[in-house]
Amino acid sequence: MLRSYLKLAWKVLLRRKFFTFASLFGVAFTLLVLTVATALLDHVFAPHAPETRMSRTLGLYGLAETGPTSTRTYFAGWPFVKRYMQDLPGAEKVALLQIQHEVDSYPRGRKVASYLKRTDGAFWQVLDFEFLEGQPYTEDDERQARPVAVINETTRARFFGEGTVAVGRTIEVDGQRFRVVGVVKDVPFLRVVPFADVWVPISTARSDAYKREFVGDFFALVLADPARHGELRREFAARVAAARPPDPRTFTRFYGGLESLFEFASRSLFSPRLETAHPGRLQGLLAGLALLFMLLPAINLVNLNLSRILERTGEIGVRKAFGASSWTLVGQFVVESLMLSLVGGALGFVLSGVVLRLLNATGVIPYAHLTLNLRIFLWGVVFSAAFGLLSGAYPAWRMSRLHPVEALRGRTR
Amino acid sequence: MIRLEDVSKTYRTDRIETRALDHVQLTIDKGEFVAIMGPSGCGKTTLLNLMGLLDVPTSGRVVLDEKPVATSRDRELSRLRNEKVGFIFQSFHLVPDLTVLDNVEIPLLYRRMSGKDRRRMALAALDRVGLSSRVHHFPSQLSGGQQQRVAVARALVGRPQVLLADEPTGNLDSQMGEEILGLLASANADGTTVVMVTHDPRMAERAHRVVRLFDGRQIQ
Repeated sequence: MLRSYLKLAWKVLLRRKFFTFASLFGVAFTLLVLTVATALLDHVFAPHAPETRMSRTLGLYGLAETGPTSTRTYFAGWPFVKRYMQDLPGAEKVALLQIQHEVDSYPRGRKVASYLKRTDGAFWQVLDFEFLEGQPYTEDDERQARPVAVINETTRARFFGEGTVAVGRTIEVDGQRFRVVGVVKDVPFLRVVPFADVWVPISTARSDAYKREFVGDFFALVLADPARHGELRREFAARVAAARPPDPRTFTRFYGGLESLFEFASRSLFSPRLETAHPGRLQGLLAGLALLFMLLPAINLVNLNLSRILERTGEIGVRKAFGASSWTLVGQFVVESLMLSLVGGALGFVLSGVVLRLLNATGVIPYAHLTLNLRIFLWGVVFSAAFGLLSGAYPAWRMSRLHPVEALRGRTR
Repeated sequence: MIRLEDVSKTYRTDRIETRALDHVQLTIDKGEFVAIMGPSGCGKTTLLNLMGLLDVPTSGRVVLDEKPVATSRDRELSRLRNEKVGFIFQSFHLVPDLTVLDNVEIPLLYRRMSGKDRRRMALAALDRVGLSSRVHHFPSQLSGGQQQRVAVARALVGRPQVLLADEPTGNLDSQMGEEILGLLASANADGTTVVMVTHDPRMAERAHRVVRLFDGRQIQ
């Protein structure tokens, strides 16, 4: 039966070329935008190199201090991480990294702006960078404050020219000189945790003031077996609850948690004091936005679908006369609508591949490598199916209610 | 086979009430060939629609195979139409986007049946009406007579107990009309009950019995 429906749907689409073009254009454009948005979210939150161990990694991405009258949200400082993240149960590695900041350099007499990130040695073990030359600096390098750096391939080209070897050579960044020990592939700007142009040990900072500031600009990453994540989260939550802020007259407690970046995004969005993460709510919000975005074109398509089905009242009458129940007819017309939206979705998917290539080429998002993958494809199928159901269900239901005698007479009421 | 017990049918709009059938009592026995005659607007098609379970009476009841038909359940009515009734319409009502073969398969789509069996039965039905060579044609590529033969094949393909034909020769010339009537007579000879609405007394002569209507009332 399904084959027969699909065959008929295909013939109807071919017969009504303008309707088909208008419908496909609407569906393809809507799904193009949704696919590009999904690709961006995937680019930020899904596991991609060098964050390939995401399922084993939890992070501390933000902290809040609250008191009776005020709340302050910021990033964790070095002492906080050192005091409360040591000896966590099940933690295989704890890595510390600063948020990158922009610095200027003048290689070969030209001004070059780069992003500098200071990390510890464990950072290179928690993350999975692809080294083109050399190797990462070590925990010992960090302890000894050795002036060593890992740079990305773009920085290598800017400082030393295309196709040259950088390891062993010296770069001057932020007024300090570093010996290059490794070169890695460029990391996209939107991967906030690993992104930088130049990575150097934390201990090479010109001042050790960071060691005294509870409020800082640090992220911490914990690598652990996913089976122990629950225990880890609970232990850290208990430590945070027991921690006392340095200014007890203004602030009485901290809020923050070990979590994924997506969970932290939900925490900062829905919980101003960062008390709780709401990943379900954030997923709901994203789904709601997608639905809202689909609604307007879907309403237009409802009208187009209605006029298309109205032309087929005689067929509806015949099918009813020969035994099709109302629900069978709903099924038939929904299948037709789904087929249209899936074809439109496939077109949108192909077009979104072109748009993503253009976005990558423009350099609007530094080092962006926006791609389509199976995960995005499956979301595309979900969006297409949702769109098909949204735009096809009402016309199908309405037409299936037609009285068979009226339908055979070509009447629509 | 089919019994209409004191059946009336009234159509109502905001301002007008039209009684299409008025207390009709009619029994069609198994294997009969019955013609329904009467002037335009006398209720012939309404009577056929009630017998075919396409419509429900305003009062009275329809009994099919000694069982009163429940009039409110769409799924049940659909099943009965699919299994027991075949329809032939004056204007053929073929689906223009489907081939002859696909059109004939329509009643079988609503049965639990493999595609292979559907195809086999549809081809047999088309062979029976002499259209084996036109199975992949579209309705627009056929003459009126051929289209009505396709409609007959579609009505017979599910082996219904009763064939309801509403002016099946009304849009055809006399030769084509004769051919169609021959197909109906042949189906009847094979045991299918046939009820045919017609204006044409010569066509009605082929029936075992003629029911006449006037102003919604049965007069003979």
